Amino acid sequence: MIPWYQNLPLWVTFLPLLGALFLLFVPKGSRRTFELGALAFTVADFLLSLPLWFQYNRHDGGVQWAFSADWIPSIGVKFSVGMDGISLVLLLLTTLLGFIVVWCSFTAITERHKEYYIWLLVMQFSMLGVFITQDMFQFYLFWELMLVPMYFLIAIWGGPQKLYAAIKLFLYTLAGSVLMLVAILAIYFLQLKVTGKADMSIASFQAMAGVIAHQSHTFQILLALAFFLGFAIKVPMFPFHTWLPDAHVEAPTAGSVVLAGVLLKMGTYGFVRFLLPIAPGATKELMPYFMTLALIGVIYGALVAMIQKDMKKLVAYSSVSHLGLCMLGLFALNPNGITGGILQMLNHGISTSALFLIVGIIYERRHTRLIAEYGGLSKTMPLYATVFLIMTMSSIGLPGLNGFIGEFAILQGAFQAAPWLAVLATTGIILGAAYMLWLYQRAMFGPISETNAKMADLNLREIAYFVPLLAAAFWIGLYPKPLLNVLEAPVEKLVRQITPTYYDQVDLTKGQKEAAKVGMAGMPAPAEAETHEEAEPSHGGGH
Amino acid sequence: MIMEHAALSNPLHSQVLWLIPFLPLFGAIINGATGRRLRNNKVVDAIALGSVGVSFLLVVYIFIQLMGRAPVDRSVTQTVWTWLDFGGARVLGGVTSNTMSWAYKIDPLSACMGLLVTGVGFLIHLFSTGYMADERKNGEYYRFMAYLNLFVFSMLNLVLGANMVMMFLGWEGVGLCSYLLIGFYFDREYAAIAGKKAFVTNRIGDFGFMIGFFLIFMIYGSVDFDTLMGMTRNIMAMPEIHLFGISHTPTWWFNLIGCCLFLGACGKSAQIPLYVWLPDAMAGPTPVSALIHAATMVTSGLYMIARMNFIYVNAPVALALVLFIGALTALVAASMGLAQYDIKKVLAYSTVSQLGFMFMGMGAGAFSAGMFHVFTHAFFKAALFLGSGSVIMACHHEQDMRNMGGLRKYMPWTFASMGIATLAIAGIFPFSGFFSKDEILWKVFEGWFAGGAYTGSKLNLLAWTMGMIAAFMTAFYMVRLMVMTFFGEYRGAGHDPHGHTVPSEVVHHASHGDDHGHDAHAGHGHDDHAAAHHGPAEVPWNMWFPVALLALLALVGGFLNIPHSLHWIGSGHFSEFIAPLLYQTHAHEAHEAAPAMEYILMVVATVIWAPAAMGLAWWFYGADPTWSKPRAFVKRFPELFEWVNAKYYIDEFYEAAFIGPCKQLGAQLWAFDAWAVDGMVNGAARFTLAISHAFHWFDARIVDGLVNLVAWILQQISQGFRKLQSGRVQNYAFVMFLGFLAIAFWKFLA
Repeated sequence: MIPWYQNLPLWVTFLPLLGALFLLFVPKGSRRTFELGALAFTVADFLLSLPLWFQYNRHDGGVQWAFSADWIPSIGVKFSVGMDGISLVLLLLTTLLGFIVVWCSFTAITERHKEYYIWLLVMQFSMLGVFITQDMFQFYLFWELMLVPMYFLIAIWGGPQKLYAAIKLFLYTLAGSVLMLVAILAIYFLQLKVTGKADMSIASFQAMAGVIAHQSHTFQILLALAFFLGFAIKVPMFPFHTWLPDAHVEAPTAGSVVLAGVLLKMGTYGFVRFLLPIAPGATKELMPYFMTLALIGVIYGALVAMIQKDMKKLVAYSSVSHLGLCMLGLFALNPNGITGGILQMLNHGISTSALFLIVGIIYERRHTRLIAEYGGLSKTMPLYATVFLIMTMSSIGLPGLNGFIGEFAILQGAFQAAPWLAVLATTGIILGAAYMLWLYQRAMFGPISETNAKMADLNLREIAYFVPLLAAAFWIGLYPKPLLNVLEAPVEKLVRQITPTYYDQVDLTKGQKEAAKVGMAGMPAPAEAETHEEAEPSHGGGH
Repeated sequence: MIMEHAALSNPLHSQVLWLIPFLPLFGAIINGATGRRLRNNKVVDAIALGSVGVSFLLVVYIFIQLMGRAPVDRSVTQTVWTWLDFGGARVLGGVTSNTMSWAYKIDPLSACMGLLVTGVGFLIHLFSTGYMADERKNGEYYRFMAYLNLFVFSMLNLVLGANMVMMFLGWEGVGLCSYLLIGFYFDREYAAIAGKKAFVTNRIGDFGFMIGFFLIFMIYGSVDFDTLMGMTRNIMAMPEIHLFGISHTPTWWFNLIGCCLFLGACGKSAQIPLYVWLPDAMAGPTPVSALIHAATMVTSGLYMIARMNFIYVNAPVALALVLFIGALTALVAASMGLAQYDIKKVLAYSTVSQLGFMFMGMGAGAFSAGMFHVFTHAFFKAALFLGSGSVIMACHHEQDMRNMGGLRKYMPWTFASMGIATLAIAGIFPFSGFFSKDEILWKVFEGWFAGGAYTGSKLNLLAWTMGMIAAFMTAFYMVRLMVMTFFGEYRGAGHDPHGHTVPSEVVHHASHGDDHGHDAHAGHGHDDHAAAHHGPAEVPWNMWFPVALLALLALVGGFLNIPHSLHWIGSGHFSEFIAPLLYQTHAHEAHEAAPAMEYILMVVATVIWAPAAMGLAWWFYGADPTWSKPRAFVKRFPELFEWVNAKYYIDEFYEAAFIGPCKQLGAQLWAFDAWAVDGMVNGAARFTLAISHAFHWFDARIVDGLVNLVAWILQQISQGFRKLQSGRVQNYAFVMFLGFLAIAFWKFLA
């Protein structure tokens, strides 16, 4: 038996479930107990997840903390957990947002506290489960389980059209998951046919890539499309995005934060974990179409966001735009693009979650989300204005903040793969600045009305839950290297799975260092340069 | 922290390099975090001025050390930490690691810019202590100073950054600070809008910058300035560069990169077509206009082009574009400056126009001349802006020059300083503008003149002509500004010396767009008017002193770079100082003797051309305080005046051609989203419902009907059978008996 501290992912995942069970036995009336209890469990969960960052071996791109036990041996299902760097960063994002969403609900939720906090904890359990699982069956289970608490969060504590939004969310994403299930079963039976053994582990599925590559072209394309649809709906990519604005607008603040922060990442995570390594051939073939859809999402989302009158809808459409960028990076299928895509998942989780919290705060005070109702808030809410400004800047990719790092890597990766698409995607960044600054200007600047003049600035609790998000935004923006170190090995492994020969190229770094020494003192004199002409082997031929 | 010395000829304290930008950052953080609580302006002053001042001293210290070294050793890099590191980028010729450090590089070019940013920055901080008097009372002062410090930090990142990402960090950072400072009076709608306009317009430029950046990375595999400089010759020696499936010469690619980067420069340095944000940016407080929108931030495009000169020297098409756009901007903006009433607007258009001159210099391949104009312009334009700030304050936040006049008597220091700066910008010998501007115009001319052969590009001749006209207009509008402000009699605050309500070129107020362009002080300024019957007075020392010092620099600054043809005056340093950073296409450039043509043009410019313009302006506005001549002129050509005053309606054109359609497209897509995309989803739901209704009917009527039919049949049958089940034993016995008979009968038959 492994000591518990070597099996932390499992504990981190099940602690929220434990919390939910605990709250189940607390009598209904004690509101404070639910609030503080849920907070205690989620904070503990966050703290418990932090050592993972240090335990993680940065040189190993494979699965770590692997643990596996038989579950349903007849069909090869195991209870199997473990994480690589990509799962790790998303797990940490989830635990971070976990306690923030609990904390931000203290005053916003005024009824049925018991169910609310229990559902939040179950939600967190199922999301964490998706990230740590190493078995397809188990993955599908968690993937579907996630929908249940989200459904109730929206349907019970949501806005006026909550039922419509909740059902739409549920059915739409369920439709996607069923397609994914078909793809899973197809691979499962193919595997059974070829190898004769039943194994549901993700590793064995990824190992099927070679076999799948030898199947008929139609099979490969259909398989890729089935996975694609399943994940694209979850992301959501254009044109499967319409459930998102409805869900966001109707959900309570915490629901929006979880939805934007983590739930949407399930789709992008699915691409990284399944589509890219399992069907690389078909993905490469479909890449131009996927990238085009992603690009449309970037620009379309931004343009639609620009004219929204409802703040939450604006942020929701900005999500469509940002996740389009994320997908653009992933489908560039090179290290820069994929790393950028993963960073964008995190950054979107940080900045968009913060923006939803920001909208939630003034909604709580004024009970309206119409931009036109606000204006001049900077005057009375200077702290709020500062936080809002930083998060706006993070969202539009100002260097020094997190958004830039991801966008930069994505665009550079996309530029390598498809320069024209990258050029067009860069225009999305102009539009991003336009709609976010316009929102900021209309809400925060200008003359202030009498009703708004009475609005209180951030209180201690609100400041406290913004602090970790702000810290994360600055950390990723200023010193992302530790994070990049965590992602480097798994991304390299993934890129090799897609293009085995990717790294077999001339290494240019040494020549560049030499050149830097030459250029240190300025431009070298022309006569001197004649002798150096042949000394640069790296630029002999193109590729 | 890693330090790299170019050579150990003279130990250089490069480990303090990071402090230069970070001190102002610390200042900004401390003031921003504590200012609201402490509410102590003295502390704010000490921190804000102290941090920039120490920064300035550090740059001076390093500058002196640099000067003490051999020209090829004048470069130091300090890597503070590794910022980005993405492994495995596939670029031209192989794989490289995309590593970018948070690193600073000081060399002659960045050292000069560093001096400018911290030096002028300090003076403007000092000026702000006086100018922001109202904010000192209402508690907003700390915010202003924190933004200013943050700006200095960003600008220093831009000029000291050792790679393009660092430059971009500063590039965007100054954009943010500009946004915050233009919108400093955020409760006024137009200030907030102007801030947003500046940011978004700059982002359009950034788009070009980023594309250029990616192209450079794809070709070089690095964006580190040292590496780029060291590799350029090898790249240029390649016969073809094959990228993205297309193959072209290095020159072709460099042209592409040059044009992309120039778009970025157009945004930041307010060139056509992206200049529109700068005049609106005057909504910010006047020190901001002086620091950001005249002396430093707007020159970052120039700095970038000078830094990337190795691209531009090898990119003739891009260079020609720079030349043409520069000349066009110089001319158009100067003409717009002719008909403005707002003192800051005149200076804003003047800035745009002067930036055009600098780009002309760059475009003519005279990078040092272009950069030198950056410095001289910083001196005289900062002096003019700060002087205008003093004037505005003295006139109780009046910005309309029609309500000024006669201030010469009240504000001698300001008048003298602005007078010197005016002579400098007009290009009168020996003021600094003469040295820098005429050098640029000469280099442009020389591009066509070609040492007397007249074989150069016709574009250079065209650009030179445009430049000369722009120079004429510059001298004219500056004298117009000086006369309207300082000469005649005071017309403000109800004074009406000539029996006219307000003297003006046109009888009615033709103030297109002027109404939303004021320094936002005007809002509460007008309230003071009734009470402010005491006339204007000289501003306190902390305001006139920086102006005077800048004017002094504008007076003598030109001698730092004396053209070869005038070497008998003294020897210029600046162009030689930055020469090692410039890409030389030929091994040794022969210093040919100055042609007579250069002397002729110089004399014409400073003795005939500029004085003629100044004389004309004086004759128009100074000689006759009722301005009868300009009035007659405007009466003769009313449309012309209207068009120029309305800035050729270019803002309106942009609104109608780009911004409006963009919003329209957004609205249409939104409708599309709601009706078509979501319509399909809801349609699918409705379709499913309809089907399920149909199935329900089918189920109820057909499927269940069948079931019921079967049941009914069975029921009917069982009705028959039920009769059999009578429960009477004799009936059963009778049936049994019949059964027996039947079986026996059947057996018997078998």
